[in-house]
Amino acid sequence: MNGTRIGEHLAALRESGALLRRRPVEATLDVLADVLDGWRDPESSWRRALEAELPEATGFSPEVVREGLRLGLEPWSGAKLRELVARELAEPKDLARNDEFVSGFDTTAVVLAGSIPMPTLLALIAPLALHSPVLAKTSSHDPVTARHVARSLAESDPLLGRCIACVEFPSHASDCVDALLTADCVVAYGSDETMAAVRSRIPPSRRLVEYGHRLSVAVVDPTQLSDAELGDAAGRLALDIAVWDQLGCLSPIAAFVIDPGGNAVTRFAERIADSLADLAVRLPRGRTDPAASALASHERAEAEMRAAAGARVVVYTGQAGGWSVIAESDATARPAPLHRFIRIQPVLNRDALPAALLPLSRHLAAVGLAGFGSATRKTARALAQLGASRICAVGSMQSPPLAWRHDNRGVFPPLARLAGLEDPP
Amino acid sequence: MSGPTRDPRRADLDRRVLDWLQEPDFRSDDARFDALARDLFAFQYEHCAAYGAFCRGRGHTPETLRDWREIPAVPTGAFKEMALHSFPAEREIKCFRTSGTSTTTPGTLHLDTLELYEASLLPTFRRYLLPDLAPHARLPIRVLAPSADEAPTSSLSHMFAIAIREFGNEHSGFDVSGGELRSDGLCAALEGRAAEGEAIALCGTAFAFVHLLDDLEQRRVQYRLPDGSRLMECGGFKGRSREIPRPELYARLEDALGIPIEHMLNQYGMTELGSQFYDSVLVQPEELRRKLGPPWVRVALVDPNSGAPAAHGDTGQIVIYDLANTGSVFAIQTADLGRAIDDGFEVLGREPGAEARGCSIAADAMLGGRAR
Repeated sequence: MNGTRIGEHLAALRESGALLRRRPVEATLDVLADVLDGWRDPESSWRRALEAELPEATGFSPEVVREGLRLGLEPWSGAKLRELVARELAEPKDLARNDEFVSGFDTTAVVLAGSIPMPTLLALIAPLALHSPVLAKTSSHDPVTARHVARSLAESDPLLGRCIACVEFPSHASDCVDALLTADCVVAYGSDETMAAVRSRIPPSRRLVEYGHRLSVAVVDPTQLSDAELGDAAGRLALDIAVWDQLGCLSPIAAFVIDPGGNAVTRFAERIADSLADLAVRLPRGRTDPAASALASHERAEAEMRAAAGARVVVYTGQAGGWSVIAESDATARPAPLHRFIRIQPVLNRDALPAALLPLSRHLAAVGLAGFGSATRKTARALAQLGASRICAVGSMQSPPLAWRHDNRGVFPPLARLAGLEDPP
Repeated sequence: MSGPTRDPRRADLDRRVLDWLQEPDFRSDDARFDALARDLFAFQYEHCAAYGAFCRGRGHTPETLRDWREIPAVPTGAFKEMALHSFPAEREIKCFRTSGTSTTTPGTLHLDTLELYEASLLPTFRRYLLPDLAPHARLPIRVLAPSADEAPTSSLSHMFAIAIREFGNEHSGFDVSGGELRSDGLCAALEGRAAEGEAIALCGTAFAFVHLLDDLEQRRVQYRLPDGSRLMECGGFKGRSREIPRPELYARLEDALGIPIEHMLNQYGMTELGSQFYDSVLVQPEELRRKLGPPWVRVALVDPNSGAPAAHGDTGQIVIYDLANTGSVFAIQTADLGRAIDDGFEVLGREPGAEARGCSIAADAMLGGRAR
């Protein structure tokens, strides 16, 4: 792959995009809705093929891939896609509403990152709903999902198939990066460093949609839960942790527990540890690199030292460090080794929650709730004020709705050009 | 000095360790290391309460110890959380701190004596950075770090101050002040030594060398420093400059300064340790580049999941046993990975710019890293 070849891809996509724009948006949306329904069906050939290839490509266990896709795709249907377009943009018939018009860009480049397949699927479909053809740079950690999505589109509609192309090249291949970033709209996923690098190469006049790294947490109020309900919440939260081995931005890295009496954290930590032990069998953890294991080992030992020094800290660990639960004595923000490593941290009362979460707020994505009952809405408002873009029940953190306002934005508006006709003369 | 009399057991341990540190032949001695390790462990187990409790929690006591490799290692992160010392707090004369960030607390090494620290530092510095320096000879040492006066809690600045005191001549000095590289003074020193044909030792953090490169590029200056000149960088990029992979950094420094890459080395050390490791290139130029340290320090590479020793040549977590740490804890678990090479090891770093596997923000990225 080189810059010239990428330029040729973009030229071909522009031509295909021109053809695509000749047909009604509604017809394209019908195809995309069918494609999404196909991905949602666990028995579809696309889904089976992806489930077969992802474990080797990404390092997740087959069981985690299957469960992750089941949970992630269940809320994503063709009907939801149509609803979302209508809600966020305009009437799907012609992408217009009264005197407001919506159009996509001539081309959209998508820079993919990480190994979670869900963002890839939506990132590739969304521009096409606006009739913007897509050039995707695949992630080195998942070279397969984008190609499977492209194949599903081509099999469903040859013209849509010609409106998507996938390219692979190393991030340091400057000619390729520069050529890719000449697209009319650029959507980039990745770390803060990646975002800064992409931003520095795109003129301000060009559309850039950034999705940086994020993290999620859970907030639990055991004072409002029976013992059985607490166990249930722990089981559901453990699932949120185990799916995608805690590597997704919707995976909780810590659970903040309302603990006025000083014993709820340990009680909840024990239940989480039991659930993670069960899940280690049902959803085995995938590959971990030595650096991640070293960090987890270091953090466990550090917690042991704090316990040895008299702090109320308890460390629970699975076989060969397969999972770790740290019952903490305070809400201090500490490193998150991921790969099924969760800290359970006390917060004196609900009013103290915003201050406890403040150090994480810049990167906050989702907050999973349990035990808030009638106070859920008030709590959600405070969490939204902190920057959370999703507030949901624990157990459903890995099942974001299609309409999730990722990074506090809608799905389609960042990809669209909006225009209005004002009082014609 | 105020405070209680020094513990006689500790005084005896210090004397035995110092005897080794001050021997001129840098000789490895397994039996001596084992005996000192056992005695030091027993002492620290008893006198550092948190460490003793930690060891008991792991089922290891001086009575059950079969091998020094079983001695539980304290993670470097614990130095941020608690005061780890094996002497009464009132005897503290000095502390070194890691450079914390706006969201992290620094780790602290508490010391009741600098004698062992300096006795370990000097022969090792000389052996690996200045192996060809004639007895009683001195050379210019320019340091791209703040002086010990400006950064009194920096172990790095203290180390360089001691090195200049022992090995530096009148053209030595510190070239960072007020948080900035003072390029005018440094360039004048480099030009002066180049004109005199006097070999120079340039030392500092990796990020300071990146700033130097930027500055020399802006000035459009290239030096050909005299033969025998050498450069030692001590790592450390995080948040202080853009990161440059080490091979690229060395290649650019070779172009800019005229010091051959074979005369550039990395020093691997940390605030929590009394001793340091150096690349072997100057002392064993024909052999593979690897980290070597003094004989009173041992390195174990362990499987981070099981804690068992990693097979020779396999990647493992670096655990360091440093007898010079008599006043704190001598077994230190780092979060770094390494691989054994012959009688030394290499530190495996994350490639700058490497893409994370997931979309969550990992590790300590959100909190900022640590540095010396």
